[in-house]
Amino acid sequence: MPLDEDKYPAETGRRRFVKGVVGSAALSSVGVGGAAAVDATTDAAGEGGGTTPFVAVENTAGPAPRGMPIIPIEINGGEISGLWPDYDENAGAALASDFGGSGIDYSSQWFQYCGIQSTEAVYPQSERNNTFLNDTGTFSWQGEYDSGEPITVDMFEDYQDWGNGIGDSGVGKPASAVWRTNSEGKNGAPVQIIRSVEVEKMANGEGEYANLPGNVQSFVSEATDQGFIAWLNKCTHFCCVPGFKTQEGSANFGGANAIYCQCHQSVYDPFSPVQSTFVALPRPPKTE
Amino acid sequence: MSDNDTDDVRTDGSGTGIVSPDDETPAWSERKERTQGLSRLTYEYFERARREDQDLRQQSDYVERDVLAFPAWPHEMMRNIALTSFFVGMILFVSATLPPEMPNPANSGVTPAIILPDWYLYWSFGLLKLGPLNPELSILGGSKLMADRTYGVLANVVVVGFVAIVPFLNKGSARRPVEQPFWAAVGMSGVIFSLTIAALSIKNLVPMDSHLLFDLTFLVPIVSATITYAVLKTMREGYMFDLNRRYYRLRPPK
Repeated sequence: MPLDEDKYPAETGRRRFVKGVVGSAALSSVGVGGAAAVDATTDAAGEGGGTTPFVAVENTAGPAPRGMPIIPIEINGGEISGLWPDYDENAGAALASDFGGSGIDYSSQWFQYCGIQSTEAVYPQSERNNTFLNDTGTFSWQGEYDSGEPITVDMFEDYQDWGNGIGDSGVGKPASAVWRTNSEGKNGAPVQIIRSVEVEKMANGEGEYANLPGNVQSFVSEATDQGFIAWLNKCTHFCCVPGFKTQEGSANFGGANAIYCQCHQSVYDPFSPVQSTFVALPRPPKTE
Repeated sequence: MSDNDTDDVRTDGSGTGIVSPDDETPAWSERKERTQGLSRLTYEYFERARREDQDLRQQSDYVERDVLAFPAWPHEMMRNIALTSFFVGMILFVSATLPPEMPNPANSGVTPAIILPDWYLYWSFGLLKLGPLNPELSILGGSKLMADRTYGVLANVVVVGFVAIVPFLNKGSARRPVEQPFWAAVGMSGVIFSLTIAALSIKNLVPMDSHLLFDLTFLVPIVSATITYAVLKTMREGYMFDLNRRYYRLRPPK
């Protein structure tokens, strides 16, 4: 006789039957409930998104999967602003087909990653301020100007020899900005701008930039002006905000003259535009 | 314990396992009986209590069996209510005396210069940075079998999985590192690796070339394992010499 025979009720046919019924009911309710919960929480609502070709500042080192998207700029009366094309019904996004004759479609879907897609800033139809507004705190020179002031060309007069002790001087003068803010100047997307001699060469296809692919070269010459280049400043790895010459430690990872992300040491080369493809996330549907 | 147990030498791990080497050496219980004063009194007290307990068990007709549990009500429930009330009370007390600071909402437009997990997670964070170990397979045309981030997560699974199976391994009877220098060295390399991988995770703050740091992360544990092995082996030789010397002093060889 086993020692523990009196511990448990004896196994009977009826008991086995009840156990089977109760067990299968519990299992199926867990299954149905789980499916309902997954369905409710992952409802694939959203607009736009999908495979999107884009032009990026190249990711040269670190864990980031791809470069950060370049924002074409235009300069009006000295004020620098990012280009935001008109909404295209068919594309479901703000779209500039064959941007500047480069053969590349510039689309608001370029910026639909890292949670930016759910902000009002990149909603294609929303009326926002496309001017780059001064974002103080990152570069000390920007503290001389008010926060939220439009960034203008004359702030960059010393761009040919500007330096802040990180890397070499004269590579370019960077600025942090917010883009597509609301009427109160809030809730914009983080952007960095560089004015550099390199960008001027890039636009003209001079020197080492003569080897750029034709469509990328013509895109860049359309998207930059007077040596200014801008990109959406969100690391494609885990959505931190990197920077050009913002971190002392960037030299250890070859990022002193490049865009360096302090979180996981990704490095982007702002003077190396590349065409690449990513899967843009859908925007949440607009409720009003 | 019944009387005949004292003479039985058990080999199944039960009992004390202490065997007198010969008839002249006193057994443990005999030593206890010989002691004086308080220890003698304590021994007698426990021995009497044990004896009474044993007598009661033998006299009763109660079927001896393991106690499965206490009743849920009221025993378990009262205990649980008491414990729960205590901890809820502590939470209320701490939150009332130290109200939490409510800082500004996070600014998604700025990332702090130093951004790291809590220090006790550095080892896991470091395992996520093993991208250079992710092989680029020529069979896949030089591309990697899995993304570096997947590789890092798998490294965590491997390490945590290994630590998780340790309790299920038969660890043998050794109680001191000197008794098993090899496994002690393996354990030491694990301890050192947990430190070096933590250093790797903060490679942007360590004043050292990051490639050198990456190499040292894996070399230092091996070096420390070698040193541990050598030291323990040497220590064991020393112990053996000591033991042998005493043994021969007590019983000189004929």
